[in-house]
Amino acid sequence: MSDERSAMLEAMNMKSVDDLFSDVPANMRKKSFRIPKGISEYDLIEEARKNAAMNRYEGYRKFLGCGIYDRIIPSSVDSLISRSEFLTSYTPYQPEISQGMLQSLFEYQSLISDLMGMDATNASMYDGYSALAEAVRMAFRINGKTEVLIPETLYSGKVKVIESYIMGLGLKLVRYRYEKGSGFMDLEDLSKKINDNVSSVVVENPNGFGILDENITRTRETVGNALIISYVDPVSLGLIKPPGEYDCDIAVAEGQSLGIHKSLGGPLLGIMSFKKEHVRKSPGRIIGESVDADGRKAYVMTLQTREQHIRREKAMSNICSNQALMAVAASAYLSILGKSGLRNVALRTASNMKRLIETFRSVKGYNPDLFSGRHFSDLPVQSRISSEDLRKRLLEKNIQGAIPFDSLLPDLSRTYGNTSFFSVTEKHNADDFSALKSALEEFK
Amino acid sequence: MTYHQAKYDEPLIKDIHSGTDYKVPAVSDKEEELIPRSLARQTLNLPDVAEFDVVRHYTRLSQMNFSVDIGTYPLGSCTMKFNPKFADSISQISGFSETHPLQDQGSIQGSLKIMYELQEYLKEISDMDAITLQPLAGAQGEFTGILIVRKYLEDIGELGKRTEVIIPDSAHGTNPASAAMAGFDVVEIPSDSNGMVDIEALEAVLSDRTAAFMITNPNTLGIFDRNIVKISEMVHKAGALLYYDGANFNAIVGITSPGIMGFDIVHYNLHKTFATPHGGGGPGSGPVAVKAYLKEYLPVPVVSMENGRYFLDYSAKKTIGKVASYYGAFNMLLRAWAFIRFHGSDGLLNNTQKAVLNANYLSNRLSKTFTIPFSPLKKHELVLSTEKTGKRALDIGKYIIDQGVHAPTVYFPLIVHEDMMIEPTESASRDDLDRYAMIMEDALKEDVEQLKKRPLNLGSRRIDEVKAARDLKLKWN
Repeated sequence: MSDERSAMLEAMNMKSVDDLFSDVPANMRKKSFRIPKGISEYDLIEEARKNAAMNRYEGYRKFLGCGIYDRIIPSSVDSLISRSEFLTSYTPYQPEISQGMLQSLFEYQSLISDLMGMDATNASMYDGYSALAEAVRMAFRINGKTEVLIPETLYSGKVKVIESYIMGLGLKLVRYRYEKGSGFMDLEDLSKKINDNVSSVVVENPNGFGILDENITRTRETVGNALIISYVDPVSLGLIKPPGEYDCDIAVAEGQSLGIHKSLGGPLLGIMSFKKEHVRKSPGRIIGESVDADGRKAYVMTLQTREQHIRREKAMSNICSNQALMAVAASAYLSILGKSGLRNVALRTASNMKRLIETFRSVKGYNPDLFSGRHFSDLPVQSRISSEDLRKRLLEKNIQGAIPFDSLLPDLSRTYGNTSFFSVTEKHNADDFSALKSALEEFK
Repeated sequence: MTYHQAKYDEPLIKDIHSGTDYKVPAVSDKEEELIPRSLARQTLNLPDVAEFDVVRHYTRLSQMNFSVDIGTYPLGSCTMKFNPKFADSISQISGFSETHPLQDQGSIQGSLKIMYELQEYLKEISDMDAITLQPLAGAQGEFTGILIVRKYLEDIGELGKRTEVIIPDSAHGTNPASAAMAGFDVVEIPSDSNGMVDIEALEAVLSDRTAAFMITNPNTLGIFDRNIVKISEMVHKAGALLYYDGANFNAIVGITSPGIMGFDIVHYNLHKTFATPHGGGGPGSGPVAVKAYLKEYLPVPVVSMENGRYFLDYSAKKTIGKVASYYGAFNMLLRAWAFIRFHGSDGLLNNTQKAVLNANYLSNRLSKTFTIPFSPLKKHELVLSTEKTGKRALDIGKYIIDQGVHAPTVYFPLIVHEDMMIEPTESASRDDLDRYAMIMEDALKEDVEQLKKRPLNLGSRRIDEVKAARDLKLKWN
């Protein structure tokens, strides 16, 4: 035992460390602790590197997306969120000593509200899927109605998370159809399913097929008073009409695209914005502007009476930890890119989509034209060979892509057999497409 | 040591106009050819700032933010221990950070191996049988755990009658919130005069309506409830499940475990016990472990291994489904794996001992000045009351932050008046603790009016929280 420990024990009139645990009865002591003994930092990092080397990432051309995108991250973003003042701080419970994080989050709320065209934004949710599920719960808190209309094209993963989140509420999920030709939401079907019990209608842009939905702007006239929840790709908003422009009530998104590494899908960033009349029913932390004793502008967590640490079982949600650091990353990303940067990233993504479609059109045995609607980042492609075969063969050619359609949309997989998703971002260039093309040609 | 935090009149990023200089490869196509005209965005407001100004802006803001790397940060129940830098290095290895969640499983064997090993470590630490790494924070872990209770009760045909979740009044607010979110009625029970579960009160509310009892042990008063085995028997006899809130796990790692105590479900907070950085409020990570009979209810997928090959296992037959997009906050899982691997069984036990030693040492010293209710033997944290000093906990907290250390949690748990909840963790030396105690003692030397003027040395003076809630301003325009 170190001298310091002995001295501290002595100061308390204790003889040994065991005295500190005299309240844990002997029969409750852990009898075995089968975890390897500690190792040095050097050995640890070597072991981690060896494990990382078992992953395959370098030297591959990647066409993976469907919610998590391989976008360019300015080095400054990583540098800023690595600053230990941000990285190793806790929730800003003492606002005077935490103004940096609080102002950063206030800026995040502002930037995202502008991007979404919405009145207000909370200081983050865990990820896109749980933000969507929380939005469904929030809609129920607002109007107390019990039916939720969701698109048939919603990924099964999103549906499953919604189902978990509403398990205790007795809500009913009802699916509405898409138009077979365009891939857009089927407004006629949606209109038929609207009734007085509908709490909210979930819409997506781009939708589960990766299509920019031209019917989305007609949602309000179709759904009447039901609340509209829109799930969007934040990068697409550099070019595309934001949810605020089609009278959306709650807008949610996966924010990973805004400067956050993929990291096997976590940590991510759940974005949630809403109309101002819904603020008090919203989940999560919110930062507000105020003044300090000298009259200087200052920021604090506000509306905490909605939250679990004050309201306990009557809270809007149980969320406590959120994704504050990821929100700072998104703020830095949006600030660095600015209006022109984000627009150009979106434009180049859409332009690369055109290249991707052309690539598949140019090789026999592939159909990238399942729908007439335009795609943004994700494209379903039908092939002669199975999705699994295609994925394996591409991997042999050092190409990662072909996410099986049935892994995301199993209920529609009978209609779209042998179909896989390929995705693009602003990163892709002519070399990527010609490599994809020659690979596809070899095993058509 | 005198402390002065940076204090900038830092403008909002939108008010810096040095001009965007971000480069994106050129596009030859016209917008009209690429996106539908009806969906074209007309206006977009984003800042117009040079990259160097963005970096300076956020760097200056960071200097107005206290963190574990600056000094003692003893927020109770938050376990703000040192976040080792080797975990930062490992998390930045591109083989980990650049993997996509939907890529071929054969190409992510290294990441799956890390997750598999972490699953094994966490099960061993808790003496539980099966685990999911999916929940993205402690609160989501609680919600997952209570959904498992729900699904299990449904399967055995008792969900209809078992509608109540019992929770002690000293519990974290997330417990009742999670239970309510999963559709249960919350029944609160008082603590006894020792700060432990009031056994009679528990007996009185346990019935065939009880779905689960949620507690943390040691509790938020830092007291180990030695009746836990009895409690476990009572709860199980009533046909209910016992849920362990792992927020206070740092007190018992290597000493005892929720499995031994008789718990059915437990969540961990990797950002507490296993030192993953909390980033000013998150990310967190809240894995959930269960006893064998609940294994089939875990969210899918979990990571399994067969013949040395790791895979995402979706086979759980009664699964509650999913609570998050993918497989958990991998980057946090990786850091927790590194922390456990580095410290090992010997280091983890050593950390526990040091954390408990520190809490007791500080409690012992502070008990001379403040009222410290309940048993003097603490585990990871202590709760004191400032009531008899005539000074408010809030004001003393503001004095503390003025000295370059962070205040304790104030006004929680709710069952002690004017309380401060202090968790020093293992990342504090005797000198740190002596200095912290001295600061708290010094605070009492200022009169009430002086204390109300605190803080003076920080990025901001005392902030008007009432105004923030009354004149809601949640964005810059």
